[in-house]
Amino acid sequence: MELGGTVLTLIAVLTLIMWALIFERLFFLRARYPSMVRKALAIWEGRDERESWHARRVREELVSVVGQALDQNLALLKTCVALCPLMGLLGTVTGMISVFEVMAISGSGNPRSMAAGVSMATVPTMAGMVAALSGLAMSAWLDNKAYSERELLAEHMTMDH
Amino acid sequence: MKNFNKVLIAAAAALVIALPAGVSAQDAVSLDQLLQQVRQGRAADNQVNQQRIAEFRANRARQAQLLEEAKQLRTQGERRSAQMEAQFDVNDKEIIELDRQLQERLGSLKELFGVLQQTAGDARGQFEGSLTQLQYPDRSDFLTEFAQKMGQGNRLASLEEIERLWFELQREMTESGKTVKFPATVVSATGDEEQREVTRVGLFNVVSNGNYLQHVTETGRLIELGRQPASRYTSKIPDVESASSGYQPFALDPLRGQLVGLLTETPNLRERIDQGGWIGYIIIGLGILALLVAIWRFVALTGVGARVHSQMKNPENPGNNPLGRVLAVYNENKAVDVETLELKMGEAILKETPKLNSMLTFLKIIAAVAPLLGLLGTVTGMINTFQAITLFGTGDPKLMAGGISQALVTTVLGLCVAIPTLFLHTLVSSRSKSVTQILQEQAAGILARRAEGK
Repeated sequence: MELGGTVLTLIAVLTLIMWALIFERLFFLRARYPSMVRKALAIWEGRDERESWHARRVREELVSVVGQALDQNLALLKTCVALCPLMGLLGTVTGMISVFEVMAISGSGNPRSMAAGVSMATVPTMAGMVAALSGLAMSAWLDNKAYSERELLAEHMTMDH
Repeated sequence: MKNFNKVLIAAAAALVIALPAGVSAQDAVSLDQLLQQVRQGRAADNQVNQQRIAEFRANRARQAQLLEEAKQLRTQGERRSAQMEAQFDVNDKEIIELDRQLQERLGSLKELFGVLQQTAGDARGQFEGSLTQLQYPDRSDFLTEFAQKMGQGNRLASLEEIERLWFELQREMTESGKTVKFPATVVSATGDEEQREVTRVGLFNVVSNGNYLQHVTETGRLIELGRQPASRYTSKIPDVESASSGYQPFALDPLRGQLVGLLTETPNLRERIDQGGWIGYIIIGLGILALLVAIWRFVALTGVGARVHSQMKNPENPGNNPLGRVLAVYNENKAVDVETLELKMGEAILKETPKLNSMLTFLKIIAAVAPLLGLLGTVTGMINTFQAITLFGTGDPKLMAGGISQALVTTVLGLCVAIPTLFLHTLVSSRSKSVTQILQEQAAGILARRAEGK
């Protein structure tokens, strides 16, 4: 960790937030989402008619409420994933600054004195990439899942013809 | 000039002609007389010659005697020279013998003198770079003289001198383990010389009035550093200065001032930002603007969201919020048919959404523009760097460092603005999106349920 400097700590915090969001979504899908779907379906099935303009609006509302719950925090998660490589880039640049600072003071003769800055430049880049890759798969899957679950719910709420 | 030459030549010619003419005019009146004269003259010449020959013959004996004398003198001199040469050889041998004796008798002493010379020279070099030099400046003269004396090899060191060398070495050793206070002349940051009480910590640092001082070896002066290291280093100095015994924490520079010098050279945050130039300031300005806008929108949308959610629970009394205004459309148009109502509601929702989404694009633009501005700064910085290379070549990396810092600092600033702005944009836009979704997808449902409930 100490090779990467402050930026690496920031990346670690960001990754932590990202994975907290991912686990929150997974928990929601496993624990709270099924009961929400059941409740919405019960309301829909409990209606005496499912054909009129009113019925269609109510159906839209039910799907929207569930969909909003499904979409919650997904945008934030996606932003976290996008920010990880940016943070890595930030680390690269701050590392390069420290390299040039060392060069300005001690000249370019001693590569060992520059090594700290170089590792500060490269380690966060790698960490940012790894964090983004780990989060990218999960965020894409959750995104997909939210979309398909919403469609599925809409399909389950059959209309009378 | 020409005239003068002519006169001179004429005068010389007159002289040449006049002389024999004068002689002939005086003595020879006729040819017979001249003949007579010549005859007489020859007789006189003969007489003179005879006389000279007689004289020469008389002298010959004397000359021989003189030659003899000179020869005697020469042999005498030669004999003397040989004698002296012999004496010289004897003396030379004696000198060599005596020299050998001297070397023999000096023996180990000579080695000692060599050691003394070397030690004195080394000690002088070391003491001049040492902080104790401030207290005992007169010792370097003694050491220089002593080293020179020992280097000549024909003079003996006195016992006092050897003892003093020992004493100086011992004193340096003892002083290096002490923290002492003594008055010294300090060149302050403003360039004034003043007499001050300074504290010397071993051979490592000199501090005064809570500041680190720099010892310049060449001039032997103490200079107060214009910029001090961070306060976490300097905060311990007053304790050390006021303490008289015991242990005190102190930020010691084991490289005897070099590290303190390097610490003061690293730029602080403000100087780093200054390195970015005007592009850096533009980026920072945009960042502050984006932050203010994001906070304003976040607070506003949170308020609107809370009001919309409370309105959802109480759809009968439409209040002054986006959902309330949409629901109010229904209250005003209870008599119209469903399709007209839907159109009217759509119109009301369309009126609300721009207000909810306002400034979101601005935030997004800043998030996109900040790294681009950083890139611009990078490129201008690189232009400066290459200008420096064109002027001074690549020999000195320090000359290029200025442009490179500008290049990198603007990139950092761009990212530092873009990352939070992107984050804030997501937060704000998800709030606005949730309210818009309620308006677009749920408002009609709420109305429908109300209509059915009646």
